[in-house]
Amino acid sequence: MTQRLAMLRILVFGYAAVWTIARTPHLLDTIDLAPRRFDGIGPLWWLGEPAPALAIIAAAVLTPIACGAAALGRRYRLSSLGAVVGFLFLTTYRNSWGQIFHTENLVALHMGVLAVVPAAVARWSTEKSEWPLHKSETSADHEVLSSAVVKALSVLTVGAYFVAGAAKLRISGLGWIDGDVLRHQIAFDNARKELLGDPTAPFGALMLRNSWTLAPAAVAAIAVELAAPLALVGRRAAWIWTGMAVLFHFAILAVMVIVFPYHLLGIALAPLLPIERLGTSVAAWHCRFRRHSTRLPPTGGS
Amino acid sequence: MRGWTIRLLPVFAALLVLSPLLRDPTSDTYPLSTYPMFATDRGNVHTIATAVERTDGGFVRLSPKLIAGTDEAVLASVTVTRAVRLGEADVLCEEILERIGAGRQIEVRTETLDVVELSVEGSVDSTVTAHARCGSGP
Repeated sequence: MTQRLAMLRILVFGYAAVWTIARTPHLLDTIDLAPRRFDGIGPLWWLGEPAPALAIIAAAVLTPIACGAAALGRRYRLSSLGAVVGFLFLTTYRNSWGQIFHTENLVALHMGVLAVVPAAVARWSTEKSEWPLHKSETSADHEVLSSAVVKALSVLTVGAYFVAGAAKLRISGLGWIDGDVLRHQIAFDNARKELLGDPTAPFGALMLRNSWTLAPAAVAAIAVELAAPLALVGRRAAWIWTGMAVLFHFAILAVMVIVFPYHLLGIALAPLLPIERLGTSVAAWHCRFRRHSTRLPPTGGS
Repeated sequence: MRGWTIRLLPVFAALLVLSPLLRDPTSDTYPLSTYPMFATDRGNVHTIATAVERTDGGFVRLSPKLIAGTDEAVLASVTVTRAVRLGEADVLCEEILERIGAGRQIEVRTETLDVVELSVEGSVDSTVTAHARCGSGP
C-alpha cells in the first residue's frame, strides 16, 4: 500500500497542478466580474466582497507550483499544505459567483487527506524522504498507516457517490427512477446551453427521442451511486464498480456535455484499484532505459 | 499518529464525506456537497434567462463569455437569471455592451419554452419577455 499511496500522491497533486494551469484563464476572469455577483461560500463564507486581484493572481501562479512540488515529493509537508490551501481557495472562490460546481470536490478532499497524513511521500519522491518522522517507525508501521490513508481516500470517493445518490431520493423520492426527472434534466441542460450559445449534446436529443431508455438509465445511475460503498468489499467488487462509474461519467458527457475530468480520468477511483502497478511499470521501464543508455557508445568527435 | 488514530482514519473520512446527509439536501456548499445538481424534477416548461444581440433579421445568440465574462454556460445562466430577478437587467445589459463593443444592440430577455420539445424537435415556439435593451441598432 505504500506504493499505491505514493502513486496516488503523484496522480492527485499532478492532476491539481494541470487543472489549475488549464483553468487559469477562467480563474482570472473572476477579477473582472461585477463585485455584486460575489457571494462567498464554504471556507470563504466570511469573505463579503471579491478578493484583491493580486491574491487571485498569486494563488493562480503559486498553486500549480506547490501542486507540482507535492506530486514530486519535494518539501512535501510544506508543498502539500500550500497546494491544498491554494487549490481550496481557488476552487471555492470560483464557486462563490452564484454557481456551485461539483467537479473538484473530491480533488480537494483527497488532497486534504494526503497533506494531513504525509506518509505518501515515503516512496517515489525526487528528494530524500521526510518519512518516517521517528526512527522507531518500522516498515510494518508504515504499511499500516499507508493502508489506512488509502482506505480513507477510497471512503471519500464512494461516500461522495453515495451522498449524490441519496440526494436524488431525498429530494425526488422513488419517482426519480421513472425517468421523467432525468428527461427534464437532460432537456433543461441542453436547452440552457442552446440559449446561452454553448454547444449541446447530440446524444441528449437522441436519448430523449428514444424515451424508453430513460427509466433504465435512471435506475442504472442511481444504482451506481448508491452501490458505491460495495466497492470497499473486495478487489473484484472495486473493479466492477469503478468500471460502472466510468461508464456513468461517459454517459453524462454524451447526453449533457458535462465533464467530470477527475472521475473520467479514473483518478477519483484510483484509491480503489491497484494503481501502484502503473508506478512499478514506469519505474521498471525507467531502469531498463537507463541501463540501455549507459551501454550506448559515445557519439560525436572524429 | 499511532494505533487507534490510524485505524480510525477511514472512519473520520466517512463521517466527513457523509456529513452533508445531515443537512437539507438542497442546502449545497463546497467542498462538502449534498450533490443536489440532478436530483430535482425541473419539469418540461422553463423560463430561461439569456441575452441576445438584436440584428436586422432578428437576433443572434451570444456566448457565455460575452454574456457574463466566463466560459461556463451555467455560470452565465445564473448571472442573467439573478440580474433579471434583482431588477438589474439594465446594468447587465450595459456590461455586455461594453464587452461586445459599441454600435450593437443587446437585449436581456427570458424565454419560456418546452425544453423537451426543443431537444427532440430542434426548435420550438417560445414566449419572449424583454427585460432590458441597450446600445444602438435595429
